[in-house]
Amino acid sequence: MDDKVILLVEDNADDEALTLRALTKNNIKNEVIVAHDGVEALDYLFGTGAFAGRSRHAVPQLVLLDLKLPRIDGLEVLRRLRGDPRTRLLPVVILTSSKEERDLVNGYSLGANSYVRKPVDFGEFTEAIRQLGLYWLILNEPPPTKAT
Amino acid sequence: MPDRATIQRGMTLSLERKIQIGFGIAVAIIVAVGAAALRSTTATVESALWMAHTLEARRELEATFADLITAETAVRGFVITGDTTYLGPYHTARSTLGGLLAGLRTLTADNPAQQRRLDSLRTLVATRLARFQWTIQTRRTGGAAAAARAVIGGRGKELMQLIRASIDEMEGEEGRLLAQRSATLQAKARLARLAAWSGAVVAVALAGIAGVLVSSELAGRRRAEQVVHETQARFRQMLASSTAVIYANTVAGGTFSPSWVSENITQITGYEVDEPLRPTWWIDHLHPDDRARVLAEIPVLLGNDRLTTEYRFQYKDGSYHWVHDESRLLRDAAGRPVEVVGSWVDITDRRQAEEALRASEERLRLLVGSVRDYAIYLLDATGIVVSWNPGAQQIKGYRAEEIVGQHFSRFYTPEDVAAGKPQAALQAAAAQGRFEEENWRIRKDGSRFWADVVISAVRDDRGTLVGFAKVTRDLTERQRAEEALRRHTAQLEAANAELDSFAYSVSHDLRAPLRAIDGFSQALLEDYADRVDDVGKGYLGRVRSASQRMATLIDDLLNLSRVTRREMQIGPLDLSALASGIAEDLKKRDPARGVEFAIAPGLRAQADPGLMRVVLQNLLENAWKFTGKRSDARIEVGSVPRDGRSAYFVRDNGAGFDMTYVGKLFGAFQRLHGAQEFDGTGIGLATVQRVIHRHGGRVWAEGVVGDGATFYFTL
Repeated sequence: MDDKVILLVEDNADDEALTLRALTKNNIKNEVIVAHDGVEALDYLFGTGAFAGRSRHAVPQLVLLDLKLPRIDGLEVLRRLRGDPRTRLLPVVILTSSKEERDLVNGYSLGANSYVRKPVDFGEFTEAIRQLGLYWLILNEPPPTKAT
Repeated sequence: MPDRATIQRGMTLSLERKIQIGFGIAVAIIVAVGAAALRSTTATVESALWMAHTLEARRELEATFADLITAETAVRGFVITGDTTYLGPYHTARSTLGGLLAGLRTLTADNPAQQRRLDSLRTLVATRLARFQWTIQTRRTGGAAAAARAVIGGRGKELMQLIRASIDEMEGEEGRLLAQRSATLQAKARLARLAAWSGAVVAVALAGIAGVLVSSELAGRRRAEQVVHETQARFRQMLASSTAVIYANTVAGGTFSPSWVSENITQITGYEVDEPLRPTWWIDHLHPDDRARVLAEIPVLLGNDRLTTEYRFQYKDGSYHWVHDESRLLRDAAGRPVEVVGSWVDITDRRQAEEALRASEERLRLLVGSVRDYAIYLLDATGIVVSWNPGAQQIKGYRAEEIVGQHFSRFYTPEDVAAGKPQAALQAAAAQGRFEEENWRIRKDGSRFWADVVISAVRDDRGTLVGFAKVTRDLTERQRAEEALRRHTAQLEAANAELDSFAYSVSHDLRAPLRAIDGFSQALLEDYADRVDDVGKGYLGRVRSASQRMATLIDDLLNLSRVTRREMQIGPLDLSALASGIAEDLKKRDPARGVEFAIAPGLRAQADPGLMRVVLQNLLENAWKFTGKRSDARIEVGSVPRDGRSAYFVRDNGAGFDMTYVGKLFGAFQRLHGAQEFDGTGIGLATVQRVIHRHGGRVWAEGVVGDGATFYFTL
């Protein structure tokens, strides 16, 4: 279970630290790979760019995806994930500040598995992360690794 | 009666002429017959005279002989007796014989043969008389014997026989003449009778013919008179039912005297027939405003022999009526005016209709003339401009006198003219009644403008195309305005998009630092609890709650902005169900509170469901919040009629508010309660009001401090 990697796509260092803290406080010990923008996230997932040539053993168990990202934004990342057979079934949870309707609609339309708004209250935030971890990392049966 | 004379002349000779000719012939015949009769009668009388003549001659001859016998006898007596008294008859006979013989001379004057015989008779008579004388002498001288001898010796007896023979001869001649003259008399008398009879017959025949002719003529005349009578009756009827009053005036020395007027004048004007015959009647009843003009026109009648005029005339009831008067002047053979005849008709209705039409046309003219934003003008059927309004001048630049008579194709661009568009437009308008287009047109100064053009076919009552009405609008300005509007819309859209992305940024970026402030304050509290004292912890707690409050503010602001930007989708909505759903959520969120909800069933509205949810959510959450200090909290949702519509309300029995500040209630960030008492951002009611306004409704509130509040809204 612990070998299941979580990919956190987050450009804001504060949010990154808080997310990692929340995960830690919830005893979620999985390795967390942090991508700081959409390009980095895609490079990691498809073994391109900075991650070129690396083996794809680290296909994450869960992607926590922020929407507002430099270069390639979260929705575009999601579109590409869903457009590629290798990542088509990858569980993606949108974790963002926005609760704009269009973001919700677009997110789900593009195949997000969940949409969670980051609460300002850190207590609530921690609770949200706890529930996410519990559900996606423990309760949920992931799709077969060799989906293709 | 000239008419009948014309008719008869047309048929045959006039009656008078016929009678004259007839009588002439009759008189000639009768004169001829009379003359013949007269002649016959004269001849008869003459013949009778001649017969009498003959008879007298014979009588004289007999008398002559008788006288001789008488004388002879007397002489014998004397001779025998010697008594001279016997000689008395002898002397008498002797004296009458001269007269007799003279008479015979006269009577036979016409007959030479008788005259000769008379001569010999005279000689014989004279001889005899001489013999008598001698005898007498002898007696006297010789006595009786001598006388006897003388008588015996004398040739008395022989002489008497000769005389007898002579008289017989003459009598024979006269008898022959008598026979002859009697025959002549008979013949003449027969002729006279014949002539008389013939004359009578001819006269009777002529009288008969004349009688027949005259009676036939009279019958014809009666028929003609009948026809004239009927015609006159019809004419009278026609006049009586006619709307035209006929009149006549005699003219003498330039003075007009009314002489006749048709009877229908009473029916039309109310005046009795004799009234118009009064000399000044007509002038007296002319409208004062028309009198001078009409009187001034009279010389025209005298000059042209006819006059047509119109004027107002006062009827018996005092009202003035427009009449149309046509008169003619009749002249005698010498060219002197003798009579004016004419007719007039009441044209008040026509005048009024004309007046109305004129007024209507004037209004239309003023209307068209006052229109400056539209070029309104008329074309004839071939496209020649026939009228022009100020709008047309304003838009196209031509003055009326410059363009009337020109073809409208000059308003088109050269390329459109080359493409035949002007003619095509007219054909389309003629075929479909109307043609409309937007296109470039040319002004007088050559500049182009974008025009909206409508061409309508104009047809007369029979449907014949008489031309086109053209309305042209200069849309250049409108196009410019539309352009500006498009630009402004684009700017607005850009601003909206900017606002949108601003709101998006706010929701993302403003919250992230708050999360950091809160998160790291919490981290401090957790990780450095032993190094921060209670006051520090309290401060950190304030930092956290401030950041959380700000997050709520941001969320509410975003909501407010969202309800403004969001597109509305109006549909039927069950407000009761919506309110019930929200109430359930509230109860679940805080199950410890015992709030009684009374939601009227069947509240329906046409509204945007998402926005109405925001409204009810806000109102119910407020009610929930402000009843927080009551154990018997009650929240009611219902509707009341207000201004003919339904006003929905949400009522609570909570803290209420002071009506003094009701004006502040719906302003953003306005709060009537402190945050310590009831939390809140002051944006909820502003959001409610914005949603209601977007629905075209109204929202208001009533409240009493400590005794609850009611929020009403209409949609």
